[in-house]
Order: sequence, then structure tokens, then C-alpha cells
Amino acid sequence: MLEARGLSKRYGGFLALDRVDFQVRRGEILGYLGPNGSGKSTTVNTVVGLIDPSAGSLWLDGAPIADDPVAYKRRIGYVPEEPHLYTHLTAIEYLTLVGRLRGQSEQTLATKIPEMLQLLLLWESRYATMAAYSKGMRQRVLFAAALMHNPDLLVLDEPFSGLDVTASLLFRTLLRMFAAGGRMVLFSTHRFDMVEKLCSRVVILSKGRIAAERDMAEFREGRAESLEDVFVQITGQDDFTPVARQILDLMQP
Amino acid sequence: MTNEPEVRLKPDTTFADWRKRFTERAEWRLTEHFFRAMFDFGFLNDLAADSFKRVLIGSIGGFVAFGFLLTRAYMIKYAILWNTGNPERYRRALLGDDMTIIGLPMLLVAFVTLLVSQSLFPDERDFRILGPMPVRRIVVFRAKLSALLMFTGLFTTAAHVSLVPLMILTSLNPWGDSNVILRLVAWAIASVTASVFAILTITAVVGILVLALSRSRLQALSTIMRSTVLGVLVVCLPLVSHLPTLGGPLSRGAPWMVLVPPAWFLGFQRVMQGSADRGLAHLAFVGIVVVLVVGAVVAATYIILFNQFERLMLRPAPMSPPWWRINRLPLRSRVPPAFRGVFGFTVATLTRSELHQGVLVGLSACGIGLATIFLTSSIRLPISASIVPFLLMFACGVAARAALALPIEHRANWIFQVTEDHAMRREQMRAVDRVVTVYVVGVPVLAAAPLLWIALGSDALMAGLVVASIGLVFVHGVLLDWRRIPFTCSYLPGKRFVGHSALIGFAACLLFTLISSGLVRTALVSVNQTLVITAALLIVGYWLRERRLSAWRKTPLMFEDEFPDQMLQLQL
Repeated sequence: MLEARGLSKRYGGFLALDRVDFQVRRGEILGYLGPNGSGKSTTVNTVVGLIDPSAGSLWLDGAPIADDPVAYKRRIGYVPEEPHLYTHLTAIEYLTLVGRLRGQSEQTLATKIPEMLQLLLLWESRYATMAAYSKGMRQRVLFAAALMHNPDLLVLDEPFSGLDVTASLLFRTLLRMFAAGGRMVLFSTHRFDMVEKLCSRVVILSKGRIAAERDMAEFREGRAESLEDVFVQITGQDDFTPVARQILDLMQP
Repeated sequence: MTNEPEVRLKPDTTFADWRKRFTERAEWRLTEHFFRAMFDFGFLNDLAADSFKRVLIGSIGGFVAFGFLLTRAYMIKYAILWNTGNPERYRRALLGDDMTIIGLPMLLVAFVTLLVSQSLFPDERDFRILGPMPVRRIVVFRAKLSALLMFTGLFTTAAHVSLVPLMILTSLNPWGDSNVILRLVAWAIASVTASVFAILTITAVVGILVLALSRSRLQALSTIMRSTVLGVLVVCLPLVSHLPTLGGPLSRGAPWMVLVPPAWFLGFQRVMQGSADRGLAHLAFVGIVVVLVVGAVVAATYIILFNQFERLMLRPAPMSPPWWRINRLPLRSRVPPAFRGVFGFTVATLTRSELHQGVLVGLSACGIGLATIFLTSSIRLPISASIVPFLLMFACGVAARAALALPIEHRANWIFQVTEDHAMRREQMRAVDRVVTVYVVGVPVLAAAPLLWIALGSDALMAGLVVASIGLVFVHGVLLDWRRIPFTCSYLPGKRFVGHSALIGFAACLLFTLISSGLVRTALVSVNQTLVITAALLIVGYWLRERRLSAWRKTPLMFEDEFPDQMLQLQL
């Protein structure tokens, strides 16, 4: 189980995360939902070790990750929000680089990479550098890079942006099966539909704080209002008509 | 309407209106955008981009200062020429110097054009972003061309303004040879034409590549083209310094002068001044024809690109590997994966990134330029031969460090951050060490081998051994304080005062070259001395290597460059 205890992050005078607590249990996909600027990406960057928290700690299976951050990093796979890749490399070269950085053997890479590229429909484009790839193709490469070393925990930051319908359906199924195998997925997004279809629990973040935590079964079984209703109540943005009207007025010549 | 009379009474308001109307036009906005983009090389963050602009502005100031310095140096030369009372000597010297004054801006403008060669034509990004906008394609093309003219014009003007005092100085003579104003005007026209020729030539080469190659092939081949041209231009620098000595051959009408482009435009200048010399007229004719041909190629390229924009920009990605790239899957190997990962990444980036390859080749070519100066000087060949390998080595060292320090797609470095592992760091950095050692030791030794053989005969083998051993020690200096995976750390240019860095670099080069060449000459006295010195150097080199590998294992990697937070102290 991954556990965040009192996670805070301060940038100068701005508090991006304020004593955030959550757990990602084995076998579950935790939806991490919030509007832009609520602290989702800060949490994700802290969880994958790109930034250090100002306060609080992360624990994996009962042990603080600060004790052995490298061992922790070996167990995570990460798909960032933007497909920042070395686009002068081909997909094969990039996946080889990532595999080598993770210490995977050449034999493993020689077997896994072609199969992964074929399954993700990237084999035909293997000779092109990723500069020529569409956003969706780059996103698929990122998924492949995150999965190749058989991680225990997947951290996904808006992973479906740019993916076509087929690829989205594939990855949704894949994530469900991945979690069902006793592993963990932290799924950061601002899309209700994805959370509703995919997640077992949801944490709603607002202004750097946890505003709500719900079991998705409550919504599915009709025991609670819809996720969207809960979200707009929490963020206090329930009536968008005035803003929409202002935009329409602004459009007038 | 009620404001109209008021506007007429205030002409400055009318001008302000006109200016506002002009600057609000889409074409001007686009030109401005393209012009700014020429200062953006894509690898700098905001802080670094500001710093880089300061460096560029400083370099324009540097040209002007260089012009004054050159004028000061030429004052002595011309004072001597005037005092000799020999007008023929003055005229011969003037021919060579005029050619230099045309050649220098030509070279500078060629450098600058090459620097922005990725922005010479509208590209796929312009196509995708501007395509859906209500902007006509002709406007995009005109804006791109205007931005290019503004950018190169800025440097052309700076270069010519800095040389005006020198031109005036060389025009003055006790024999009343030329009308100063006429000479200045003729020079300005001929020299600007020469600079335009330099711009057009590079634009034509880039244009042909754009039209002929697919996107990915274009990337690879234009990288090679840029590096080659950059290397040639750098090597041309010492040749430009020899132009003043070509007055004699020019005045004799030597036929090989037709191979020296600045001579064409000198001919053009002299024809405009009224010279009846047939040789100069022939050179002028060649110059004009070449400019027209290159201009026609550029015009044709722009027209074809304009008409075929969609087709050329939407060429599909290749389905087969290019012949120069062996794109194979990982093979079984005992080499640790961390080593292979960083080594492969470094080599792939150096072979494909225009910027990194350009920096590597350009700075290394400075070593060839310096070596050329030594080899064409009056210093005896055995002495020159013992100095040249170290000039090359120093230049390759500076080039390797600079190229590896520049980032590529800085935001993609997260993959190195999330996989950072102290157990693998030693191997990752050993890969950097290997790349630097091969480039800094291997390339200069191989390049200098024929020269050593010619100069030293069979002693060349011993000399090569000593040079390589010194190189292994020098690698430590190149990698001093290095704690980055190549291309993954942000870069802040201008961290130190340029003059200070140049002074330290010059002093280091001088010291390294003198000590090393002295060591080679000492080693060559006897075989025993060679073996002792080589063994000592190898032991020191090995010890330093182990020391840095051990330090890398303990030190975390660096991903963000920093300005020095302390006052710079001169450690004298």
C-alpha cells in the first residue's frame, strides 16, 4: 500500500499542497481528481520523486520511502501529463534507454521492446524518430516505458490526453487488469468520466487540500449523488451560466 | 470624424497612427515573432534566454571594439607604408587589406546565417500553427523572409560599421590615389553584396535539402551539412588572416585568385571605383554571376516551397531505416546497462542534434584553425608538430565539454531523475568518461599522426604514445566538477564575464600546450626517457580516473544549472 501522510509542498509563499493524506491500496485504482491548480501534479511529482515535499512523508508497504528512495523508484512506473520525450530518438532507442537506466538486461529488452511496440501499434513507425510522432503515439511510448520493468505502482498524470478511442479502451482494460493483479494505480485526472469508469476510490483535491474521499461504489449503486455533483459542491463552481454568458458577450464584435 | 482636423494639426499623431496601423498588421506581428524566434535556440529556459540575449548584444559591441582595435593595429602598418615613399607597395598592400575588409564581414554573416539555418524557411511547425489561422501563405513567407533580412542585416550592419574607421584609414595616402567617399561607397556596395552572397549560399544549400529530403532524412542530413559548413568556416578564419598577404598575386592577376570569393567582390569594388584592370574586371564578373546564380536558386527554392507547401510539409515518416543508421535492437553484452544507456544516448544525440554537433565540430575546428596558423608560420616543423596535437586536444576538450553541457529537450530529463540510482551512477558517468576520452585523446592523436610522421619520422610512434598519455591526464581537466548526464541539465549562458573566461581559456591553452610539447620533446631524447615519462603519465591518468569515478559514485547528479551565488574570486 502507498500512503501519503501530511504531505505539504510550499513554493516560496505559495502553499501548493497542504497536509494531504491518502492511501492507494493494493488491487485498486485511486482516482485523484481536482480542478487545474488544485495540486494534482505537485502530488504526482512528489510521489514519483521529482520534487521533495516541504513536510510529510510517503510510505510504501509500511516503510517510509525516504529510507531507500532508489528501491522505491525501481518499483514505480510513471506516465507524465505532457509527452516530454527525447524526440530525436526512435521509439526503440527511447525504450532501450529507459530499460537500461532501469538496469534491465539486453536480452530482456530485445524481447520485450518489439513485442510492446507491436501491441501498441507502433512497430510500423519504428524507424522514424519520435519528432514525427503524434501526441497519441508519444503517449503510447510513455505507457510502454512505464510498464516495461513490471512496476508495482503506476502513477498516471492525465494519461489519456491525445489517445484515440481504441488506445483509450485498451489502456483502460490494461489498467483494470494491472490493478486486479494486486498492484496499485494512482490516477490523476480532471475527467469525471474516466474516474467513474476506471477507479475504485476517488480523492477530490481543492486548493491543495483533500476536500473529499469516496468509494466509487457509492456512486455506482446510487447511494450518493453523482461524482460531478459532489465535485461542483466542493469546488463551489455550481453555476457556470453567468461566465458562459460573459464569454458569449465578449465574442460580439 | 470630429477628430479629423485635430489629427491634421498634429503630424506626430498621424505618424503614431500610421505606426500603430503598421505594427498591428499580421505581417509585422509575424515578422516580429519570427525575428524573436531566431534568438531562441529551443534549449534555453527564460532565464537562460535573457542571459543569451545579453551575450549576443555584447558580441555586437565586441565587433565594434574589434574594428577599432584592427584600425589601431593598421595605423602602424600604414604609417610605415606612407613613409616608404613607394606607391606600388602601398597599392599592393591595399589590395590585400581591402580583400580582408570584405572577407571578415562575409565570414561573420555566414556564421550567423548558419546559426539560424533552421529558421531560414517556413517549416512544419509554421505550417501546423499558422495553417488554420486567417493568414495568407504569402504573408507567412514574406514575414519569414523579412525576419531573416532583419536578423542578418543587424549583424551585417554591425560588422560594416565596425570596419568603417579602418576603411577611412586605408584610404588616406600621400599620393592622392583615390577619392575617399567614392571608395567608401564602392566598398559598402561590394562588401554588402559579398555578405549577401554568403547568406544566399547557405540559404540555397538549406533550401535544396528542404526540397529534396523527407522530414527525418532532412534532420539527419542538415545536421551533417551544418556541421561541415561550420567546420569549413572556422578553418577559413586563419585563411582570412592570410588575405592581406595576397595583394601581390592579385596585382599580378594570378588565375587561382578566382577560387577566393572575397577577391570577386574586391574586383567589383575596384570596377565601381573606375579601375580598368582586366583581371579585377574578370573577378567582378565572376562574383556577379555567382551571386545571380545563387540568388536564382534561393528564389526558385522559395517559389517551389510556396507552391508545394502542404505536400512538402506532410511527407510521411520513413518506413525503412536510413542507410546511415543501424537501428538495431539491443544485443547480448557484458557491458552494464547503465553504461550502454548513457553511451548510446550521448552518441545518438551528438550524431543527430544540429546544435550539439555544431558546437562540437565548430569548437574543435578552432583547433584546426590554430594548427593551420602554426603550420603556415615560420616555426620549424618538428616544433610545430609537437605543439599541434595539443592545440587540437585543447580545442576538442573545450568542444566536448560545451557540447555535452548543452541540454536537449530539457523537460524530458524526468526519466533520468526518476531512474537515478547511486548504484548505477558510476557506470553512467563512466560512459561520459569514455566518450570524452575517445574524442579528446583519440581524435587529436589520429588527426596529428600524419603530421608527426612527416616531422619526426620513426620517432612519431613514441611521440604519439606520449601525446596519448598526456591526453589521459588532460581528460581529468575537461571533466573537472562534472556531474551531469550529457544534455540533461539546464544551461545558463554568460555565467561569467566573457573576457574573464576568454583570458583564463587562453592562459590554460598556452600553459597546457607549452608544458605538453616540452614534455614530448624531453621524452623523445631517448627511449628510456619516453618509457619513464609515458609510464608516469599513465599512472597519474589512471589514478585521476579512479578518483573521479569514485567521486561520481558519491555525488548526486545535477539537473539544474545555477548562476554562481558568490562573488567571483581571482585565485591569484
